[in-house]
Amino acid sequence: MSLFKKAILLLLIAVVGIQFMPTARNQSNEVLETDFLITFTAPNNVRNLLKTSCYDCHSNNTNYPWYDKIQPVSWLLENHIKEGKKQLNFSEFGIYSKRRQKSKLKSIINQIEEDEMPLWSYKLIHKDAKLSEKNKELLAKWFIQLRDSLP
Amino acid sequence: MKKMKNSIYAVAFAILFLSACKNDAKQAESNDVNSKEIQADATTQKSDLTSAIIDGYMVLKNALVNEDSEKAAEGGKMMLTAFSNFEMAKLTEAQHTKYMEIAESAQEHAEHIVKNPIDHQREHFEDLSKDVNDIIALVGTDKTLYQDFCPMASNNKGAIWLSETEEINNPYFGSKMLKCGSVQKQIN
Repeated sequence: MSLFKKAILLLLIAVVGIQFMPTARNQSNEVLETDFLITFTAPNNVRNLLKTSCYDCHSNNTNYPWYDKIQPVSWLLENHIKEGKKQLNFSEFGIYSKRRQKSKLKSIINQIEEDEMPLWSYKLIHKDAKLSEKNKELLAKWFIQLRDSLP
Repeated sequence: MKKMKNSIYAVAFAILFLSACKNDAKQAESNDVNSKEIQADATTQKSDLTSAIIDGYMVLKNALVNEDSEKAAEGGKMMLTAFSNFEMAKLTEAQHTKYMEIAESAQEHAEHIVKNPIDHQREHFEDLSKDVNDIIALVGTDKTLYQDFCPMASNNKGAIWLSETEEINNPYFGSKMLKCGSVQKQIN
């Protein structure tokens, strides 16, 4: 067997092998009392935008794409979601202290306005998660209003 | 049988009523604690518990004045160490809960400052300044500090920072607007 063929075979074994790597799935049927959308009342357009553009990585329930089952994609997603939830978890927003809620709202506004979120790699595949200029404005305005209404 | 049911209702009602009264009393008590805290803000207590936190904060603040992102990250790291070494056992019970809440927020901001470019560092420095200011109001300090205010920071909403010198050196804009701002309050 030539070296090239050996390398291909090795790669193949590796690709098949990593398919057995276990990953934790971020899914829950339960909507917690502490969910952002229960803690605060949001109009329907805001709710929908949050659910399609933010909740996949910033809540306890991800709407997984089909290719999630393929490694190393699922491993990558798992890390993204873990980090995303560490920074901001909408499912647990109600547990945050008022101080933390306010600073999170400020960060959310900045991230939207500066086009940092949703992540470009996420938007690449989730075309529907991309925020139009109009929707960006709508979200930012609503979040600013909410932040200013908190004591 | 009916009589027994009635008396059970009566007892249940009484318990409900009593516990409601008790809650009221508790609330009044906690309101008292709040007003005491506000009074304590007027004069800052002398305490060296916060010294390491403030030292780290000043390294960070001066680095932002000098537009030195790396040094700012170092200041953030110093603050994280200071928070994990903080002697919480020396706080009163009332201080403790409040401190935990502020420290949690402050540490999160410091973590962001450690690993981000200067714009983002300044964004988190805004809230971190508020947190450190609140910790000083809560726990105290033996340092002489100045609470400064820049009306143009935070997208013209204005933001505070703390300084060890009376002279204004603006950490939000650095050399662009070094002298923008004014002293709002002197601590100690």
